[in-house]
Amino acid sequence: MCRVSHILKELGHNLYRNPATALGSLMSLTLLFLLFDLFWVAAGTSERFYTRLLADMQMEVFVAEETPESSLDALNRSLEAIEGVRAVAFISREMARERLTSMLGADLLVGYDTANPLPSSYVLSFDPGYLNCADMTRVENEMAYIAGVDQVYYSKRWLAKAEQTRTIILNVGMALGVLILLTALTSSANNIRLMIQTRAVGLRRMRILGAGRLFLATPFLLEGLLVGGLSAGIGWAVIFYARQEVTFTQFELVAPSLQEVGIFCAATALLGLTSGYLGIRKMLR
Amino acid sequence: MAVKSIIELNNVHLKSDRGDKVFEDLSLHIKPGRSAVITGPAGSGKTILVELLVGLRFAESGSVELFDECLLRGGKSLIRRTRRKIGGVGGVYGLVPSFTVAENVLFPLVLAGERRRIRRERLLKMLTEFSLLKQAREYPPALTRVEYTLTQFARASIANQPLLIIDEPLAGLDATTYGRISEYLVKVSQSGRSMLILASDAPTRELPDTDYYRIDKGALLCVG
Repeated sequence: MCRVSHILKELGHNLYRNPATALGSLMSLTLLFLLFDLFWVAAGTSERFYTRLLADMQMEVFVAEETPESSLDALNRSLEAIEGVRAVAFISREMARERLTSMLGADLLVGYDTANPLPSSYVLSFDPGYLNCADMTRVENEMAYIAGVDQVYYSKRWLAKAEQTRTIILNVGMALGVLILLTALTSSANNIRLMIQTRAVGLRRMRILGAGRLFLATPFLLEGLLVGGLSAGIGWAVIFYARQEVTFTQFELVAPSLQEVGIFCAATALLGLTSGYLGIRKMLR
Repeated sequence: MAVKSIIELNNVHLKSDRGDKVFEDLSLHIKPGRSAVITGPAGSGKTILVELLVGLRFAESGSVELFDECLLRGGKSLIRRTRRKIGGVGGVYGLVPSFTVAENVLFPLVLAGERRRIRRERLLKMLTEFSLLKQAREYPPALTRVEYTLTQFARASIANQPLLIIDEPLAGLDATTYGRISEYLVKVSQSGRSMLILASDAPTRELPDTDYYRIDKGALLCVG
């Protein structure tokens, strides 16, 4: 018990005797994690933005001119049977004409009363998991083999662009995460190494008196753990405060749940512990 | 279980970092309850002998046994356990600069995992015995040479370890402190603890149950 209290006391002493080093370490890690948090929020917000846009995405299947009315039921069933299709809605020629009129504000087909040139069509909506380039292309290819389908239309280019943007955000996020991880590790490890160097004489003398390596190293490990977890916590506190104060009309900032924040702080505390180990590993040899 | 010997060095050969011979066929035996005083000029290897005993150096040949265990064979764990059985003053046994006098004195008890009440009692006793009560909260750089040495003695005495290694115990002390320390050494040698005293000149006061050696050309000569 007295060893534990000594270790905790030493941890306090480390922070108290080298406040500039400890504070510098805390500040630099907080800034790094804040950068990471900002990117996390940006990625989450854009992800929700795209998800909402994608949720409205539909595919329009135009029925071939020569398709008899009697075949429409079979065509409907074929479309419903395609994997990923959630709902199929039939748009007759008349409905298409009404829609066009409501969109434009005037009926452009007044002279075509007897021969409506607009084709009938089906509007397909999909399960969210299928709203991606690969599945949509597969669906489009399957359409080519269904009798009665003339043309297929959906926002193909927009979908490709959206997917590309999401991939870029993901890759940048991962690169940024790795960069921040390495920077946090080296920065924290260097600070701890610096602290050890300033106390090298004392540590050597304690070892001569019989202090074990782990006994001497534990305060530094705990310091890494504490600084890592605390800096992440401060970073998130800033983000949550800013989110509460700043509101956007077009979209809402998406922050992770408290549970995710807790896991992140625990992970950064472990990162701090690792950096503490890196800082003291020479001492442990 | 009682040990047969506190220190047993047999035919130790050791070279310095520069490659010079420090010890040639050096042997030393200290039985429990007995002490040894080794004298020799500066550079004769007294501090290197301490380093050998606490596992900071290893002999090229010969055996180094403390408390009946061979340091070389036992590994790091044995070295750590052996170090805890030794109280030290001077040489490699400097004070920890970031600890106060009280923390320095207490440290062996912290390592031993002693209870708080016992720690407090013994600390108070040591600080009183070595007249360090006023300096209890001071840090080593603020101490005078005498206070520094007394703190080391207090630390070396608090845990009653079976072996006390003292490297140049009386160097630079005023007459009063010299007398006090000499008295303390007599008291320790009578208490049944073993001592290894290394000094340029032997203490003027005769110590009971003590063998006297002179270190000469890397070997020990018994002089009394």
